[in-house]
Amino acid sequence: MSKSLKQNIVAYGMVMPAFLVVMLTVAYPIVSAVIQSFQDEKTGEFTFENYTYFFTEPAQLQNLLFTLFVVFVTVIVAIVIAYLLALYLRFVKSKISKAIGTLYLLPRFVPAMCAVYAMITIIRDSGLINRIGLLFGVDIHLGMMYHASGIITMNLWFNIPFAAMMIAAGLGAIPDSIIEGARDVGAGKLKVFTSMILPLSMKDVVVAGTFVFMTNVGSFTTPYLMGGNAPKMLGIALFDQFNKYLDYNRSAALSVIMFLICSVSAGVYIYTNLKEQDWEKQ
Amino acid sequence: MFKMLNPRRFYHAVGKRKFLEFILLAIFILFFYGPLLNMLMLAFANEYSVPNVLPQEWGFEWWGYVFGQKSLVSSMVQSFVIAIITTIVSMIFCIPAAYSISRFKYRGRKIFMLSFLLTNAFPKLGIYTSIAVLFYKYGLMGTYPGVVIIHMINSMMFMVWLPASAFRSVHRQQEEAARDVGAGPVRTFFKVTMPMAMPGIAVATLYTFLGSMEEAQGTMLVGLGRIQTMPVAMYGIVLDSSAVQIGAVFALLLIIPSAVLIFLMRKYIGPEAIAGGFKMK
Repeated sequence: MSKSLKQNIVAYGMVMPAFLVVMLTVAYPIVSAVIQSFQDEKTGEFTFENYTYFFTEPAQLQNLLFTLFVVFVTVIVAIVIAYLLALYLRFVKSKISKAIGTLYLLPRFVPAMCAVYAMITIIRDSGLINRIGLLFGVDIHLGMMYHASGIITMNLWFNIPFAAMMIAAGLGAIPDSIIEGARDVGAGKLKVFTSMILPLSMKDVVVAGTFVFMTNVGSFTTPYLMGGNAPKMLGIALFDQFNKYLDYNRSAALSVIMFLICSVSAGVYIYTNLKEQDWEKQ
Repeated sequence: MFKMLNPRRFYHAVGKRKFLEFILLAIFILFFYGPLLNMLMLAFANEYSVPNVLPQEWGFEWWGYVFGQKSLVSSMVQSFVIAIITTIVSMIFCIPAAYSISRFKYRGRKIFMLSFLLTNAFPKLGIYTSIAVLFYKYGLMGTYPGVVIIHMINSMMFMVWLPASAFRSVHRQQEEAARDVGAGPVRTFFKVTMPMAMPGIAVATLYTFLGSMEEAQGTMLVGLGRIQTMPVAMYGIVLDSSAVQIGAVFALLLIIPSAVLIFLMRKYIGPEAIAGGFKMK
């Protein structure tokens, strides 16, 4: 047996088990969901009804628009704040920036539910903010529970540290020397930022932004614990279709709709990720 | 000392730049750690009625209550068992795949690599519901294998990509040197490659374990209420919230494993290591 053939067998043998797991437990269910979403619940015949339901039923349409609104606000606010935070962490060297640089790693590891619960103890009607308000004789009702603002606040709590971390890792790869070089030949701070730092970190911004987008379209825990009854986030709507109404065809259709919303961003994610792979060329 | 508490004095004492940094730090801590600290306080509040900002009576009353509930204690045991099994199974499948992707050149390698993105590129809940339909067919609903599969696919991407980028940073020459002095391929892997790639593998393992500890939606969907892990039990506690302290105690119990593991692995955890799991670098 030749050496390269032997090596190929080893290589494929090592990657195959994991690949098969993904195919069987992820790819296959996705394909079967797509097929099911075009089938009539009773007769099994081909139909678009499962899809048209989500675009014609006013309540469902509202859920869709509500989700898009929450996700877009989350992505934009989170990325802007995260970028500023990452810039601060990269270019300001002080004790405080070092402290924040350590502290912002932790939220990523706090179980989602605990964080949501902790936030609820602050913003609910008998929560900390209300109690502090009462100390000064004001009865504050934030109205954030069961409202988009609560969900967005929580999403920011989860995603700002994550996005900042991704962007900081990218900014950290920009060597000080090239920035100093640009400053030496007379480029101002703004010029250095717009023509060097921003383009060099764009890839990480896109990767972070698309990932935030993808995880939030299907988010469940936050809206489940904090969201209202109408409009609902799509994740909750899907859970209801599946668990409450036991309508598997419609829930399959809704998953496909969510897949499609995400696939735009997944496409961008994969494209940015694959664009420059130096180790691939070695 | 106390005159520093006057913001204007403080401003003039430390300068504009420092002052702004302190404000940033204060906002950061209030937003990201305020809720957690408030919850920490509530967990030790025996008595906490409405207009009071601080508890009227401190103590461990609610800890006793939580540990007195059989269902809550058994959910802790189940969580740990499932998380350990998930981590081990995931390592068995993913580490060889990571090694293969980073070390060998063959056709279709990119496709293999991308296939692991599937688990994270699409809404989790959509995948879970689709899997659940299949699980019904094969009798996996409400069983441990079913839940372990759900937990595993959750973190497969990190479990492959992170070690893969770690293996790639081990120089081939170092492996070759070991081979030259007579070590076999298996021994080379365990004595040379593996220890050097350890930081990446450690972070990936941590991710898988903690991910499994906190997974709730998939467990709830596939476990059918028969398998109650801590997070699933927590949903019930939050939603029926008879006393805010029960939730606080339980949430703290959920955080403890993460806190301990992060402390133990603190030297491996940094922005670069974590970001590596999201890039096909």
